Amino acid sequence: MIQKAILLCLAMVVSLGTLKAQKCNLVLRGRVLHLENNQPIEAAYVWIPESSLGVATDANGNFALRNLCPGQQTIQITFIGHKEIKQSIVLSTGNSNLTFKMEEEAVALKGVEVHGHREAVQTTTAVSTLYGEALLQSRGESLGESLKRVAGVTTFSTGNTISKPVIHGLHSNRILILNNGIRLEGQQWGAEHAPEIDPFLADELTVVKGAETVRYGPEAMGGVILVNPPALPTSDKSKTEINLVGQSNGRAGNVAVSHSGGSGTVEGLGYRIQGAARRAGNVRTPDYFQGNTGMAEGSASAAIGYSSSKLGTEIYYSFFTTELGILRDSHTGNLSDLLEIIENGAPFTQANFTYTLNNPKQVVTHHLTKIKAHYHLNPSWKLNFQYGFQQNNRQEFDRRRGELNTRPSLDLELFTNTAELFLEHNLKSHWTGSMGLHLIQQANSNLPGTGVTPLIPNYDLINASVYLMEKYLKGPLELEAGLRYDYRTLSAARYISNDLQESNLTYQNGSAFLGGMYQLNSNLTFTSNLGTAWRPPNVNELFSQGLHHGAAAVEIGNADLATEKSFKWVNSLEYEGKRATLELTGYTNQIQDYIFLNPTRQTFVSLRGTFNVYEYLQADAFFYGVDLSGTYEFTDQFNGYAKGSIIRAKNTESNSFFPFIPSDRMDWGLSYEFGTDPERQNRLTLSQVLVAQQSREPDFDLAPAPPGYTLVNLSFAKKIQLFQHDFSVSAQVNNLLNTEFKEYMNRFRYFTADMGRNFQLKFNYQF
Amino acid sequence: MKNLKKVSLYLLAVLAFGFSSCESEDPEKENDGEVITDVTLKFQELNASNALVGSVLSFKASDPQGIEVGKTPTIQSISLSKGKKYQMTIEVTNAIENEDITKEILEEAAEHQFFFLGQVFDSSILSIQYADAGGIALGLKTIVTVSSSTGTNNSNMRVVLRHDLNKSFAGASNPNFANFIQAGGETDLDITFPVILN
Repeated sequence: MIQKAILLCLAMVVSLGTLKAQKCNLVLRGRVLHLENNQPIEAAYVWIPESSLGVATDANGNFALRNLCPGQQTIQITFIGHKEIKQSIVLSTGNSNLTFKMEEEAVALKGVEVHGHREAVQTTTAVSTLYGEALLQSRGESLGESLKRVAGVTTFSTGNTISKPVIHGLHSNRILILNNGIRLEGQQWGAEHAPEIDPFLADELTVVKGAETVRYGPEAMGGVILVNPPALPTSDKSKTEINLVGQSNGRAGNVAVSHSGGSGTVEGLGYRIQGAARRAGNVRTPDYFQGNTGMAEGSASAAIGYSSSKLGTEIYYSFFTTELGILRDSHTGNLSDLLEIIENGAPFTQANFTYTLNNPKQVVTHHLTKIKAHYHLNPSWKLNFQYGFQQNNRQEFDRRRGELNTRPSLDLELFTNTAELFLEHNLKSHWTGSMGLHLIQQANSNLPGTGVTPLIPNYDLINASVYLMEKYLKGPLELEAGLRYDYRTLSAARYISNDLQESNLTYQNGSAFLGGMYQLNSNLTFTSNLGTAWRPPNVNELFSQGLHHGAAAVEIGNADLATEKSFKWVNSLEYEGKRATLELTGYTNQIQDYIFLNPTRQTFVSLRGTFNVYEYLQADAFFYGVDLSGTYEFTDQFNGYAKGSIIRAKNTESNSFFPFIPSDRMDWGLSYEFGTDPERQNRLTLSQVLVAQQSREPDFDLAPAPPGYTLVNLSFAKKIQLFQHDFSVSAQVNNLLNTEFKEYMNRFRYFTADMGRNFQLKFNYQF
Repeated sequence: MKNLKKVSLYLLAVLAFGFSSCESEDPEKENDGEVITDVTLKFQELNASNALVGSVLSFKASDPQGIEVGKTPTIQSISLSKGKKYQMTIEVTNAIENEDITKEILEEAAEHQFFFLGQVFDSSILSIQYADAGGIALGLKTIVTVSSSTGTNNSNMRVVLRHDLNKSFAGASNPNFANFIQAGGETDLDITFPVILN
């Protein structure tokens, strides 16, 4: 009996104890996001009056409230410029995970920007953004060069003036570049055709490393680059930024100015204008000048927008023009010319410094106009419309005899219209998404009078698509899926000698993706994205027929090529701690019917000599790789970074390697901050770039892969207050030791060493 | 809402304009202005007092389509007599455009030069000197001397036309300069003619 009583008592005590423990030991985790764009809200205050417990959200919008008691409680969330959330919740056992979305308030404090209609990338794929100080450091460089700062991004270049970004081993028509949300449509098929965009127009450069065909349309196989200008002001606040860049190598100079402001009388009306210019002369390797490698470039953009709580409109125009010299000796007459210069390893032409550009050269202009509008049908539904018009003119001049020397040998005019209508929903429940229609129309014409049979035909292209994407958000979990269907017609026509050749082709394809993001804890995020992508064969791959000067090669297209399809899986782990950050991305990309230019090992004999013959073939390919980047703060003043990437690519049908796949590379650096005042920075950075030799070479290459190399860079950045505004100065030395090297991914490695030491001085003033 | 309607009307107007203005041009025939289809070497004998005697012997290399895959050029054999001296002139034409390129080469003599290589020179069967007007090194006109004891009756001569070279490059004044590529520029012609010696 007594025993029973003791047992009962004990049981009661235990149960009471557990009851008590259960009573106020609950954890409420959650996330606070902007209803507008799902961006996390930092420093929103979460308060439970019943328990007198409160906490602020972290940079990812996450919060955790501990020691809560079960039962009905009220949760109150406040954040400036947003409607307060007051919600009653019932807490029971276990941890709860909730997502709260805060709506912007139309009535706000004066001076606080309330209509932040900025479109961020909403994706579960690995994304890296270059902005702020890192972008400032890259000023004066081309888009490709700037993006090399992102792990996993390299360049495929033709000398020092032409560089194309490469994401996970893919470039040109296998990646997309968006200029303020519009697919940049130029003659991107050419290896020596640089993207027609100036990074000076952007305040952030974003690289999406996944297959984003569903979101952005065909060709976004390797990834997407978003070149985004700053958001338009919505209040009477002006900002002016001046950039000056000088470089010793090439004696180059850049000027860039931008100004934005808002109307004092019409609330929500804002504008921005921006312009930049660059001039550079012959570039020098450690030992010699590269003849005819100068350039002159100009760009401008303007935007005006109006934004109210319901309606947002924007008109945007950007212009880009460039005239760039091509290394004289890279234009060889025939195969024996080419082989002899490759053997020499350096140009035969002795050059001096000059700003003068001669043939061979390229003259490119690009106009882009965009009209965009969105309308909030209600707090959850938003209708968007976007239209873009682009005109691209490309002229390429070769060394020719007589009057022909003043005429371009390639003269292309490309018009592109893009229109997109999409409906976004952002429900207070856990669902967000969009569905839309996307139309691309393109017309390419060879302007007559070149005196050369055109390399690619005139063509008209129409691409129509529908897509649907949906995202589920709950606490630390985001799940996303999307579907898209594209239909494309292509009609091409040209004369070869006296024969009119015409062809009409149609392509259609469905694509899909599935992705997820999970916030393991407040420091660690895991994302995974599986996506299919497709790319219809490009016009040059279908129809090329002719001599490619730089390569002493005759290239033959194949009109029967099938669509390239890929399946990319990207996984990324991101850690953000107090002192350390780490980003690890691993991916595989299975490409079916990968199109590549294959040497036939045949030569073609003409009165001009012998040429190699290349043909476009298709084979299955498999790409995989890893990108790693991290930073560590040893002390408040002393920190370091490291990043690297490894790519493997194989033709799985013939078990051979593809040409121009980036070799393994990494760079790392240490920087020291003198003083701790954030307003007055003094930072010295020493870094080293290590590039391995590409040992996985294709069976045929004109020259073996150059040896690996190491470069040392040094920079000093200083920020001071000048008339109460930020004034930054930075002095950089690239290739400090003046190392002679050749980069495997530079097509001119056949002809010349790369750029030698380069001193740079950069000024930035914002007021 | 009224504004919205207006805006969408404007948008439609712009769209209609944009899409309609955007169609590719009809392709036009492009005549390859720069292609060399015919190269004729003309030989005329020079007597002891360097006067032209006898009839002109013409040997032609032609590629009527210009650069086109799958077609090889036809090259005639040059037939010369041992121990004789000839004046050689070169005529270059574009039969597609019916254009005399010789004139253009002469006009741009500062940027062009012919080089003469191959077995005939390696084995000292022929010797050659530039004989262009004004004493320039161009090669449209040359003096060719055939050795009296050639050893063989079959040989070959390679004719190269370089464009955009540094003519004052060391050695470039020699018509047999084998390292012509080192003088920079690019090759416009590279033809190997069979040579028959009688």
